[in-house]
Amino acid sequence: MDQETVDRIISPDLVSLEEPPGEKRAVIEHLLDLIVDAGRVSDREQALEDLLKREEETSTGVGKGIGIPHAKTAGATEPTVAFTRSTDGVDFGAPDGKPATLLFMILVPEGGSDEHLEILSSLSRALMNDQVREDLHTAQSPKEVTSVLTKAIT
Amino acid sequence: MMDRIVTIVPEAGLHARPASKFVETANQFEAELQIAADGEEPVDARSMLGVTSVGAEHGDQVKLIADGEDAEAALDALEKVLTTPEDEYDE
Repeated sequence: MDQETVDRIISPDLVSLEEPPGEKRAVIEHLLDLIVDAGRVSDREQALEDLLKREEETSTGVGKGIGIPHAKTAGATEPTVAFTRSTDGVDFGAPDGKPATLLFMILVPEGGSDEHLEILSSLSRALMNDQVREDLHTAQSPKEVTSVLTKAIT
Repeated sequence: MMDRIVTIVPEAGLHARPASKFVETANQFEAELQIAADGEEPVDARSMLGVTSVGAEHGDQVKLIADGEDAEAALDALEKVLTTPEDEYDE
């Protein structure tokens, strides 16, 4: 992904380093509220419904301590990635059984393109790198998180 | 070591249920199994993170690579997952 795209989808106000709730549904709402507060959601209820529908299909825990709930939804106004991290981890039904400590959310508006899947695959590729995961665990500020992610994804 | 090029049939692409079925199937074999998008580096077929990073959509071609005693059976099983429409999956 190019720098311009990444700058458009991630910003420090979409990152929270405060301890999130320890349960999946609550942490999904927590991440969603970061996106709502950033003014990128027009219909919170619709976005939540689409996120939960996707979780019902298969859980979005991808292993290595990562959960990435995501949806294409009429409730979102622009492509967005939000991030938080959990000390003890949240059960996201990962195949490797590990609780998710690095928690992302991807929301993109309804439309022709499958941009959420492009973002999902780029983000996953970046997160396969051990150093990137380590840097996300140790980042001291939202700004540091966005700079780690930007560098890893572009 | 053997490999096989497969075109993805499920409408969802290699995401959601097809991806989870793919990883589940890969974990049933002993062989070392990898998957690669066209022209990209192969990733571990047993890892959901790896498989998600491939980002393969309906109609895309992927390369499956297997190394080990049950390599051929593994390739057959993985090919079946990728070429079966989602509504024909066994629950």
